[in-house]
Amino acid sequence: MSKLIKAFLFASIICAPFAASAVTVASWGGAYTESQQKAYADTYSDPGSIVFENYNGGLGEVRAQVESGSVTWDLVDVLPGDAITGCDEGLFEDISSEIASMGVPGPDGESIAEDMENNGLEYHSGWDCCVPQIFWTYVVFYDPDAFPGEKPDSMADFFDVEKFPGKRGIHTWATGIIEKAMVADGVEPNAVPTVLEKQTGALDRAFAKLDTIKDHVVFWSSGSKPLELVKSGEVVMAIAYNGRVGAANLAEGENFEYIWEGQVLDQEYLCLTAGAPNRDAALDFMMHASSPESQAEQAKYITYGPMRASGIPIIVNGEPWGPGGVDIMPHMPNTPERLAVSIVSDPQWWSDNGAEIDERYAAWMGN
Amino acid sequence: MLLRSVDDSQINTVFPNTFEEYKKWDKEKDELPPEEVYKALFQELAYGEKVQVGRALTRMNYSKSGWKSLIKKTSRAIKKVVKKDEFPDSYKEFFIETNEKWADPTYWYAMGQMVNNQTSIYYWNAIDRTFDQELNVVQQEEDRRVYVQTWLKTLKVSIYVTLFCLILGFPVAHLLANLPLRYSNLLMIFVLLPFWTSLLVRTTAWIVMLQQKGVINGVLVWLGILSDDGRIAMVYNETGTLIAMTQILLPFMILPLYSVMRVIPKSHMRAAQNLGAKPVMAFWRVYLPQTIPGMSAGGLLVFVLAIGYFITPELVGGKDGKLIGSWIAYHLKTTLNWGLTAALGAILLGFMLIFYWLYNKIVGIDNIKLG
Amino acid sequence: MALPTYATPIQRTYYYAYLFFCAVVFFFLVAPLIAIVPISFSESPFMVFTEGMLAWPPDPEAWSLRWYRNMIGDCSAEVVSSTVPCSTKWMRGTVNSFYIGIIATFIATVLGTMAALGLSRPHMPYKALIMSILISPMIVPLIITAAGMFFFYARINLVYTFTGVILAHVALATPFVVITVTATLVGFDMNMVKAAQSLGAKPMRTFFKVIMPLILPGIISGALFAFITSFDEVVIVMFMASIDQLTIPKQMWAGIRQEISPVILCMATCLVILSIVLLTTVELLRRRAERLRGIKAR
Repeated sequence: MSKLIKAFLFASIICAPFAASAVTVASWGGAYTESQQKAYADTYSDPGSIVFENYNGGLGEVRAQVESGSVTWDLVDVLPGDAITGCDEGLFEDISSEIASMGVPGPDGESIAEDMENNGLEYHSGWDCCVPQIFWTYVVFYDPDAFPGEKPDSMADFFDVEKFPGKRGIHTWATGIIEKAMVADGVEPNAVPTVLEKQTGALDRAFAKLDTIKDHVVFWSSGSKPLELVKSGEVVMAIAYNGRVGAANLAEGENFEYIWEGQVLDQEYLCLTAGAPNRDAALDFMMHASSPESQAEQAKYITYGPMRASGIPIIVNGEPWGPGGVDIMPHMPNTPERLAVSIVSDPQWWSDNGAEIDERYAAWMGN
Repeated sequence: MLLRSVDDSQINTVFPNTFEEYKKWDKEKDELPPEEVYKALFQELAYGEKVQVGRALTRMNYSKSGWKSLIKKTSRAIKKVVKKDEFPDSYKEFFIETNEKWADPTYWYAMGQMVNNQTSIYYWNAIDRTFDQELNVVQQEEDRRVYVQTWLKTLKVSIYVTLFCLILGFPVAHLLANLPLRYSNLLMIFVLLPFWTSLLVRTTAWIVMLQQKGVINGVLVWLGILSDDGRIAMVYNETGTLIAMTQILLPFMILPLYSVMRVIPKSHMRAAQNLGAKPVMAFWRVYLPQTIPGMSAGGLLVFVLAIGYFITPELVGGKDGKLIGSWIAYHLKTTLNWGLTAALGAILLGFMLIFYWLYNKIVGIDNIKLG
Repeated sequence: MALPTYATPIQRTYYYAYLFFCAVVFFFLVAPLIAIVPISFSESPFMVFTEGMLAWPPDPEAWSLRWYRNMIGDCSAEVVSSTVPCSTKWMRGTVNSFYIGIIATFIATVLGTMAALGLSRPHMPYKALIMSILISPMIVPLIITAAGMFFFYARINLVYTFTGVILAHVALATPFVVITVTATLVGFDMNMVKAAQSLGAKPMRTFFKVIMPLILPGIISGALFAFITSFDEVVIVMFMASIDQLTIPKQMWAGIRQEISPVILCMATCLVILSIVLLTTVELLRRRAERLRGIKAR
């Protein structure tokens, strides 16, 4: 009998490694990964060598893989805070020299870093290990039919339940909401990160503002939920990922309006896991995925904006760029005039304070 | 796992000299630590291994938010100094010049939490306590107190679910136990089918039933009980959690109750009534006491399972869905605060062992029966 | 349990109220499982009863096998919807679920049966203690087991391997086998073992020729319990499985978290059918066992 067990164990051990050899990319799944598949993998010289896997964010799995030395993910698609932590902790490999030498330059020879700086971003240590992907945003949207008269168009309106009665849909974690509350409280959008970092009591201000809509809030935690909430009329406005709203408008004939003021732009990176089994192939794919062309290509499939400034002209000149001959720029978060009223979330600050604020936010939700 | 919850050695291997000097700091006398501490920290940041320092930073940030970028900014300044070979005369002044936060003693006090190789800080964090500068245990700042609240909520949900299961399960088990075997075997399928069906399937099913445009609201609107705008929010709140968890755990109540009731002779009730007891009285004084083993077995089983649940609450609970299990998963996967993960887990495990022991006392562990 | 003919009207009322209450509870237990079946055959990408589905006579346009085709990885044009991703993941998940489930069941059944045999010996020392430890994975919250295993397996390189997931499932499933087999052994007459041995049978032969045929129903229903445990398990795979070990529950979890689509309901319907099959098997086995024991008692 024990021989049989051994045989089975052995069989299961040799069955395990039969997936390797392809570059494994851990990403968020859903329409987002679909767009990565189409824009990056399908346009790659060897599309079959790229495999996407879903994960739910966070560095837990990456840390376990690196600490145990059995790395299965070559590349990980992460939020900037995780890019910073992962790079600092050595979970991601420092490839700053490779990025500088191998990265696909922009049309005027800009390096990846310069291109990002042209987009208003500042260096953080995540840039040493990761290449840029897209800007996505927490944006407020509504169904214009819900407001026959005056329509809301600012964060102040979102937080004003007397002027615009009805429930609001917001998410169950703190990122994005804190910044929006600051804007509603009268802070200039571009100044929000500085105020949050420098001003003592800024967080109390944000939470005080949140208190004003506390009784008019429906919470959501999965990305498709805010759309259902608004569509069913359960809430009159909601915060959502702009890509979801874009997809609903473009593919399903919805007519949702955005409130671009106070949108919170967040970054997205692709990072190389330390000890990745297919390091060189993965590195090559990273460079392909971060080229201006690939970044512009992705906008065809999802309304997230390129993080490299030189990706935008490709889209503008290529219009109609969207599916079925639609112009895509009206749905893009990072046009110059929208950027002027936006907040670029500060990943370093969130990586310092995120855990504490999440706890505080949870306490706020629960009370 | 238990080791993780008290282990604090990693950071001590990165900053050994700093901590050595730190211990000599007389907090009564000097507001800020002495020059030697700054100097040791300078050395250890300048020549420490980047990855090791990075990990230590993650740890330091748990004790006080802001450590991470403070040290990173300082490290960059230090690297420049080392490159130019222009070491400062006073390290203390150099630090404070780089960033004024180094003149803020609260950062230094926070460092005191990490001086030892073992720590109980994670356990205290898990119940909203922390250390002050003298390493006395104090309450966490008011707006960060979230765990006690979560523990209570978890407890509340578990107790409610147990009670609901008892209320719903008791009559059903009674019916099943008293029907002739061929009928009860048939009806038993209603209990066993959910028991055998995947947890996720049942959770999804409840979302379909309870959502705003879901089956129940639809039926109520169709019957004219609700207006189309008046649909009730039954899911993504505590109601949803309670309904779904009750249904999911109900079989665990019915099965033990059933196996106990099955062997209670029917003649007892009849005898009591013959002796003059009213039916209610007979039930209360004769039948009910005999079912206590079943009730306690089922109750404990349901309670213990409920307290550790997090899949269902997380999916149907909305903002109220964050029970203690969710926090464990959150710290394990997102913040990487594995010390706190382990501490929360250990406390939950402690609870469990107590109930397990009780269970063993009352019914004996080998009396568990399935189906 | 019928009402005696001499019951008073009040007793009657109570009795019917009681029956009604039980009916409601039965409905509460099963209704959600039944409700999802028709919705899985919907044409609409939302998980609701559409008007077409409720119309009479039924509107054939409103019903379709679209989501089932999506589930088996058929991504042709008439199936695909812009909001519902289409991939072969469900099918890969199914293959993996069966693979992991079957191996884990086999190991758990062997280990569990041996443990139960040992524990049922009258002079086994520390019986209660061993039983408690064996059964603990069933009682300890999964999240703790998962976290503990995650830390432990990470150290010995078993995270994100089939071996790791299978071993974890074995640990979870073994208690179920122990319990069911122990229950069968209660009615087992140990004299038969003595008889076999006195007739010269070696222990192995005794087991396979005498013990095993008699406790087989218990072993099989234990094995089915073990299988369903592994097959439904989501917390462990969430922490310890990578894409290669994608299982049905893992894919469902991701689906419910991100976008709830009718494809999930299709898989759910299939799983309900699977559980009906398993349930029937266990029930038949249990009856057989009862009959066998009945004969012996005579």
